[in-house]
Amino acid sequence: MIQWIRRKLSVRVSLWVVMFAAVIFITALSFFFYQARDAVRQEAISRATQILDNTSLRVESILNRVEVATNMTQWLIQRHPDNPDSMFVYSRGMLLNNPDFYNCSIAFDPYYFKDKGLYFSAYSKHDGDTIRTIQGGSDNYQYFYMDWYLMPKLLNKPCWTEPYMDFDAPTNTSNMVASYCDVIKDRQGKVIGAINTSLSLSWLSQTVSAVKPYPNSYSIMISRGGTYLVHPDTSKITRQTIFTQTLEQPDTALTGLGHAMQRGEDGMKQMTIDGMSCYVFYEPLGGTGCSMAIVCPESDIFGGFDRLRHTVDAIVVVGLLLMLYFFIHIITRELNPLRRLAEEAETIASGQFDAQLPAFRRIDEIGQLSHSFAGMQQSLVKYIEELKDTTSQKASIERDIRIASAIQMGMLPEKFPSKADSNDVQIYASLTPAKDVGGDLFDFYFRDEKLFFCIGDVSGKGVPASLFMAVTRAVFRTVSVRESMPDRIMATMNKIIADMNRSSMFVTLFVGVLDLPTGHLYYCNAGHDAPLLIGAGVGMLPCDSNIPVGFRPSWKYTLQEAHVFTGTTIFLFTDGLTEAMDANQSQFQMERVTNVASRALAQGHQEPRQLISEMTEAVHQFVGNAEQSDDLTMMAIQYIRQQSDVKLRKTLVLSNDTQEVPRLNDFATEVCEAVGLDSIVTMQVKLAIEEAVVNVMKYAYPQGTRGDVTIEAVSNDVRLKFTIIDSGKPFDPTVLPEVDTTLPAKERRIGGLGIHIVRQFMDSINYERSGNLNILAIRKNLTDNK
Amino acid sequence: MFSIKEIVPFVVGLLLSTAALAQGDSFVFTPQWTAQAQFAGYYVAQEKGFYREAGIDVTIEHPSATQSAMSRLCKNECQATTMQLCQALEIVDGGIPLVNILQTSMNNAMVIVSARGKDPLTQKGARVGIWSVGFGQLAICMAGKDHLDYEWIRFAQNVNLFVAGALDATLAMSYNEYYQLMHAGVEVREENVYRFCDHGYNIQEDGVYVTRDYYNSHKEQAQRFANASRKGWEWAAQHPEETLDIVMRYVEKAHIATNRTMQRLMLQEVLRLQVDRESKKREFRLRPDMVQKASRLMKENRMLSREVKYEELTSPLPVKGEKGEKGEKVKK
Repeated sequence: MIQWIRRKLSVRVSLWVVMFAAVIFITALSFFFYQARDAVRQEAISRATQILDNTSLRVESILNRVEVATNMTQWLIQRHPDNPDSMFVYSRGMLLNNPDFYNCSIAFDPYYFKDKGLYFSAYSKHDGDTIRTIQGGSDNYQYFYMDWYLMPKLLNKPCWTEPYMDFDAPTNTSNMVASYCDVIKDRQGKVIGAINTSLSLSWLSQTVSAVKPYPNSYSIMISRGGTYLVHPDTSKITRQTIFTQTLEQPDTALTGLGHAMQRGEDGMKQMTIDGMSCYVFYEPLGGTGCSMAIVCPESDIFGGFDRLRHTVDAIVVVGLLLMLYFFIHIITRELNPLRRLAEEAETIASGQFDAQLPAFRRIDEIGQLSHSFAGMQQSLVKYIEELKDTTSQKASIERDIRIASAIQMGMLPEKFPSKADSNDVQIYASLTPAKDVGGDLFDFYFRDEKLFFCIGDVSGKGVPASLFMAVTRAVFRTVSVRESMPDRIMATMNKIIADMNRSSMFVTLFVGVLDLPTGHLYYCNAGHDAPLLIGAGVGMLPCDSNIPVGFRPSWKYTLQEAHVFTGTTIFLFTDGLTEAMDANQSQFQMERVTNVASRALAQGHQEPRQLISEMTEAVHQFVGNAEQSDDLTMMAIQYIRQQSDVKLRKTLVLSNDTQEVPRLNDFATEVCEAVGLDSIVTMQVKLAIEEAVVNVMKYAYPQGTRGDVTIEAVSNDVRLKFTIIDSGKPFDPTVLPEVDTTLPAKERRIGGLGIHIVRQFMDSINYERSGNLNILAIRKNLTDNK
Repeated sequence: MFSIKEIVPFVVGLLLSTAALAQGDSFVFTPQWTAQAQFAGYYVAQEKGFYREAGIDVTIEHPSATQSAMSRLCKNECQATTMQLCQALEIVDGGIPLVNILQTSMNNAMVIVSARGKDPLTQKGARVGIWSVGFGQLAICMAGKDHLDYEWIRFAQNVNLFVAGALDATLAMSYNEYYQLMHAGVEVREENVYRFCDHGYNIQEDGVYVTRDYYNSHKEQAQRFANASRKGWEWAAQHPEETLDIVMRYVEKAHIATNRTMQRLMLQEVLRLQVDRESKKREFRLRPDMVQKASRLMKENRMLSREVKYEELTSPLPVKGEKGEKGEKVKK
């Protein structure tokens, strides 16, 4: 049932409406019925009260006559208290004048009239049509013990006695009578007797019993002592009091009513009598001490009202049920299109996007919904088509990016020199892009016994960064072929990149050149993280603050130098290391990098591959499952070259005159012989030295100017080095100049074609400018040529 | 005020003038009051045939307005009547020798009910209702002893004067007027009730009496009546509802304005009063100590001219020399 209600909107809405209507109906009707019932009750109260008042008035008027007549007779008696026989006249006269009175006694205290003895009571009573008058006191009727005689005396006021059954011996009849009595006083005011006038209460009983305002209502009358004088159950009359049943079964309501009536109060009480809810209206009857009550069953008072209420209730219930039925019916009919729409929507949802929607010619909400739904269906179809295209495009892009990634990775050096294949350095690097393609770069290569290396981080990520990275790396290669000093390389790269940088990107870059024979490091840092030196300890390489590459083409980058001892590892990295984030967004930070490096050093793990492996592991451990936020690049370079002792050192100073060349040849021959080179190698060395020195002699100094060329030969077990020093204009012959085809071949400086001879015959060539000196070092390995 | 003693000379006169004896086996029993549960045992004995079984033809005749039980006994119109012990003592003292052939009451039922929720003992000088036909002896003794100065108001009928507010307090029997007061809606609380039985006045009440003359001549018949009556009471104690049915038949026949509820309450109380406080049994005997106590109390209060002995009510005594005392009593 509940499931059905939950499934049916029509039923639910109808129930709500009907419930709401029911609440309104119930509230309105309750209020109406409450008011109406109160009105009916008030009507009943006023009706009963009126009846009671009328009855009471009638009773009182009769009682009043008794009281007046008694008072008048009393007055007469007290005027003439000495003549006992006249008392008979008075008592008889009372009945003569008031034929409806029952009897009259004028009685005196015992022995009041000495000659009359103990008893004297003038007693008159109707006897058929006549009036019987006798002396009433006797041993069997000791009137002075009677209520009517005692009561006014004790209360000291006239009063009505409790009604009693008067048995008339001569006629053998009983009559319920009540007596009005008062004392008789002598002239001194002493009580000498009592007068009593009785009234038969049969008329009162009839009057009261006749009161019947409702079909099932009835009247009761009780005496001062609570005795029933009128009751529909005649067996109760005089035998029971209103309290009788409460003696064995306490009934506070009935007791309360009895007491209220005894006290002579008037009012109304609602109570249950004989299992029936009744309203009891009560009022005292004159001064008799009696009280009458009208008992009206609630069903009588509210009979008509209840019938009306039941009818209205029935109409409301039936009406609400009909309302429910029709609402369910109408709403179901109205919602039918919606149901069909829902079915169609389900069809569409199952994947049949081309399902035909029902066409409604309606302009209401359902029509609008249907219309919107049709629109939605079209949009859906279109969207799905677009989605297909987009998906295929995206797949294509992803493929491209994968290729780009492979290309980018291909750009990076893949072969890392290790102890096994290099006596100078061991290198290892790793690059983990955050996306398929990254903006980090590193590179290294050897030229003229120098290691050129760089590490950089392009601003931004993804494809743009990767393109910029590729450009940077290409520029580095291009520029560093011609420039040997990092500051110059950086400056040139900056100029090239800044000029073509339209997208305002930049790259932080560290460029280093390590002189392999000496371990001397030249470097320039353009806004990149300072590398660590891990050797005797762990320390940071001091770096000047230069701006990253790509901002300002005219920026002057500073050159810095350091000496790298054998066994020391240069650890370079991008901010992807220090800023690697864990799930709580906290960063790895420099402190941890240093700690890992220190630990590696302590364990003797400063060898590049090991160091990077440990660093990588530490980062992974720190980051945990968090997504990689930035490209992570590390490069470690360990200088491992062993320095040998100098065996030979010779110096020759020549002027810049080619006439001095034979001295040079002699010097070279002497040196070559000293180190034990064979004749062919000696020839080659002599030729290379001559090329280099003659080049200096010819071009270092302006023409006509005299200058010196100092040639120093130094040799150890493995190598022979010639250092050519001049104080001429700065010139680096190791950098390839543009080919100047306008000059005759003889005038072309070394570095043009001559440098090729030097490179061919010697193992390395290195240029430095120190102060105002050009220092060119050319080396020949001895181990291969002995 | 008037007392039962006023009528004693008259009664004695009648007794002497009519010396007729009861005839054969017929036996007239007159309870001292109109039909009510107070006499249930006798009705039961009659209705259940206990009298017939005992070989006596009993007629129960209630007193009429014109003829009291005592006058009927004296006129020999009845052979036995019920009477309270104090009344019996007065009558014996007044010169009419009586024999108690069956004592039903073992406890005193008299109470004083005070109006306005007051303790009757604090109501000095109060107007207290008392039956005009006697019964109030103990109350008068008590009031005198405790110097309460009650003004006794003798009344003939029931509780109307009290209900109408004309009295401060009234004497009542715990089985009769006490319930009538409640029946009339008076809220009776224990603090405004004085029970004589609880204050050293536990004097037996109802018993069945015959004149000593009758007893002397019809001893066996009297005994049989007493035994059958006793049987009736014992049956009543065991079958209260059936007893009540019987009582109501008598009540209705006599047109008494009462009801079953009132009679039930009365029967319960009367049966309770028949159980001796000490032995917890229905003893059906006159207790010499109570006779002595009542007799001395009444003598002290000059209600009796002499102490009437227990034996006078039970065992044969010479009847001579009674007349002289009677003459003195009239003067009181």
